[in-house]
Amino acid sequence: MKKLSVLLVFVMLVSVFCAAAAQEEKSYLERAYEGEFAGTEVIFDGPFVDNDQVFFEESVKPFEEATGIDIVYVGNKDFESTIQMRVEGGNAPDIADFPQPGLLGQLAKKGYMIDVRDVIDEDWLDENYSDAWLDLAMMEGPDGEEMMAGIWARNNGKSQVYYRPDVWAEAGYTVPTTWDEMVALSHQMVEDGETPWCIGIESGSATGWPATDWLEDIMLRTVSPEQYDAWTRGELKFDSPEVRRAIDIMSEIWFTDGFVYGGREAIATTNFGESVKPLFYDVDGCMMHRMGNFITAYFPEGLEPEVDYDVFYLPPIDEEFGKPYLGGGDIYGVFNEKPEVLAAFEFFSHGESLKFWLGQGGALSPHNDADPEWYKDATEAKIAQFIQEADTFRFDGSDLMPSAVGAGTFWKGMTDLVTGADVDTVVAEIDKGW
Amino acid sequence: MAAKSGSLSEQKKSSSFLTHLVLIILCLIWFIPVFGVFVTSFRNSTNVFNSGWWRVFPHQEWQEVNEIKIDADADVNGEIEVTLPNSKTIKGTYESFKNGVNVDGMKIQWYGAKRTRTLKIYEKKWVGFESNLTLDNYRNVLTGKKIQYTGENGETLTRNGSSLGSAFLNSITVTVPATIIPILIAAFAAYGFAWLNFPGRKLFFSMVVAMMVVPLQIAIVPVLSDLSKVNLSGQFLGIWMAHTGFGLPLAIYLLFNYISTIPREILESAFIDGASNFTIFTRLILPLSVPSIASFGIFQFLWVWNDYLVGLVILGGGQKMVITQALANIVGTRGQDWHLLTAGAFVSMIVPLIVFLSLQRYFVRGMMAGSVKG
Repeated sequence: MKKLSVLLVFVMLVSVFCAAAAQEEKSYLERAYEGEFAGTEVIFDGPFVDNDQVFFEESVKPFEEATGIDIVYVGNKDFESTIQMRVEGGNAPDIADFPQPGLLGQLAKKGYMIDVRDVIDEDWLDENYSDAWLDLAMMEGPDGEEMMAGIWARNNGKSQVYYRPDVWAEAGYTVPTTWDEMVALSHQMVEDGETPWCIGIESGSATGWPATDWLEDIMLRTVSPEQYDAWTRGELKFDSPEVRRAIDIMSEIWFTDGFVYGGREAIATTNFGESVKPLFYDVDGCMMHRMGNFITAYFPEGLEPEVDYDVFYLPPIDEEFGKPYLGGGDIYGVFNEKPEVLAAFEFFSHGESLKFWLGQGGALSPHNDADPEWYKDATEAKIAQFIQEADTFRFDGSDLMPSAVGAGTFWKGMTDLVTGADVDTVVAEIDKGW
Repeated sequence: MAAKSGSLSEQKKSSSFLTHLVLIILCLIWFIPVFGVFVTSFRNSTNVFNSGWWRVFPHQEWQEVNEIKIDADADVNGEIEVTLPNSKTIKGTYESFKNGVNVDGMKIQWYGAKRTRTLKIYEKKWVGFESNLTLDNYRNVLTGKKIQYTGENGETLTRNGSSLGSAFLNSITVTVPATIIPILIAAFAAYGFAWLNFPGRKLFFSMVVAMMVVPLQIAIVPVLSDLSKVNLSGQFLGIWMAHTGFGLPLAIYLLFNYISTIPREILESAFIDGASNFTIFTRLILPLSVPSIASFGIFQFLWVWNDYLVGLVILGGGQKMVITQALANIVGTRGQDWHLLTAGAFVSMIVPLIVFLSLQRYFVRGMMAGSVKG
């Protein structure tokens, strides 16, 4: 008994000592939770509006209530063009959400961003993010040295295909596990009088991006990750056997008669959000739709995940490259070193900052401490699981390429391909953008 | 004589007929899309996404009247024989039935994939006016869409999304001062340039006029950085100043042209009666230049009301969002709710329409003023 109490005293002493040591270097977030910055405001800018804005505001509410810091979200649909103007005009927000890392890279290079490693404990970052995410946050700073320009706050997965398990069961189809099986299944569906695919790439001034996602997914399955990276840097040209092969594989699905709902002509004129709707038609719709997980926002209301719809992993093509996964995401950058801003920023490096949003669907968490239980439904959790288990994870290539290509000739070239241009013209045209 | 005047009136008739025809065509070109938007704004979203707005009106449509089941033992991959309700039999393959077979004014079409084993018979029938028109779009635009989400304990909560309501007030707060301030300054300046003698008058005036060629897109970043330095970015005062600055050159030029045509004698007799410059300005110049002030007022009001860029960059959105930003946001992050734009467009049009209609009688007069000088 005496021994035990000695031990107890010892433990208490140690913990008091540790607490005192921790007191010395408490993080901004811990200080915020103690109420040190109550009554302050953090201006947050981003590209999402409406639904997503509500989800964001609800997600940060617990933080606001616990700390007394008010996170004010201003946001607009033209964020990508206005943020540069506002930053250069000296009117930068405190924290901003960048849907494409390229834009953050430009601002980091001009010296507007704060190096995350200076303001958040590196051990914590290592603990809560996989190396892949941390590497993707490294960008060139103003002095030419690498800096960590932001933290990944939300991501999405794109290498999955949506289908309807009940309809498939009725028709006797099974989920394909290789690309060849998938193509054979598509032929089988045509044979049975079904339309296998729903594809639409119209998206206003961004028309063509869903096509770039398809090509990236195929590239990941036919070249090594290193070659993929070289491709996004412009070192592997579009006019190369690798990319041409990927385009051929894609064309087989996109342009075979009867494979796509509405035919080849409809692909370029169907809005990507509308294109998923035939998947849920009672008859005369389509059977499969490959799209990022954010597409669930366009689904008709009242569907039950795993019953009315489900996902399968877009099958691999060349066995040696395993099971890669394509995704995108939003990275947060910080402009300002005020303590309340850094506290809020640190909060976003915790999975907890996304807990509410995960429960609503349409977002995935890149944080290691996010609980799979938080996801809205099993389908979302399944996609998160796919990403965790993937052999390689690569970021959406068109977002990594300079915007003249990634948001320019690449989009346009793929649209031209769909509307009938031949491959030689298309690859030459895209390469011109570099 | 009579014959001659007859031909003249005939000529007049045919030329006025042509004029009217051109005017009618121009009006239709303008009117039909606006009418389409108007009709669309009352349709529910499912219908907007599935069919064109002209479907609202009575039209003929294929409608299902009957269906035929194919025997379970028939081979759907080969040729199939079916018996119609009027005991006629027709033959065809899946492909031919899928494209539809027309018999006796009926269309026989395969329903879904082969495995349904069902043919449906359609007849053309008249469909009346679309009955499920709704004001939902307007409600969503004015008060925000109901956004549903799941609370902590699994309960369903709702919150309203972006709406035009508060943006409407913001736009008025921005627009009214941003119209009045430049008019006041410009009227003083125009009077000075037209009637006061001071050294460098011509030089200053040419500088002001030269400002008109500077595009606002070039000036906006420097303006923003200056406003940030004095903590006016994101403030209504800041955007009033910006709009005033961007509007002034044209305002001064327009008002100068008008004020300088006021007969010298009127001003001289006022001087002789002992009026000061200020009295002349307030008692003579201002009342006399109402037409040109009103026409510039319309210009400036419409420009500021419809402005997106300056509002976005200087006010920045959030609580101080102007109506054009709210319209852009209302379609959602990925543009999934574009059908709301139809109602939004009409709501945001109301105020400029009122302003234009109430001031339009000055408009042509004001624009012409000073354009022909003797």
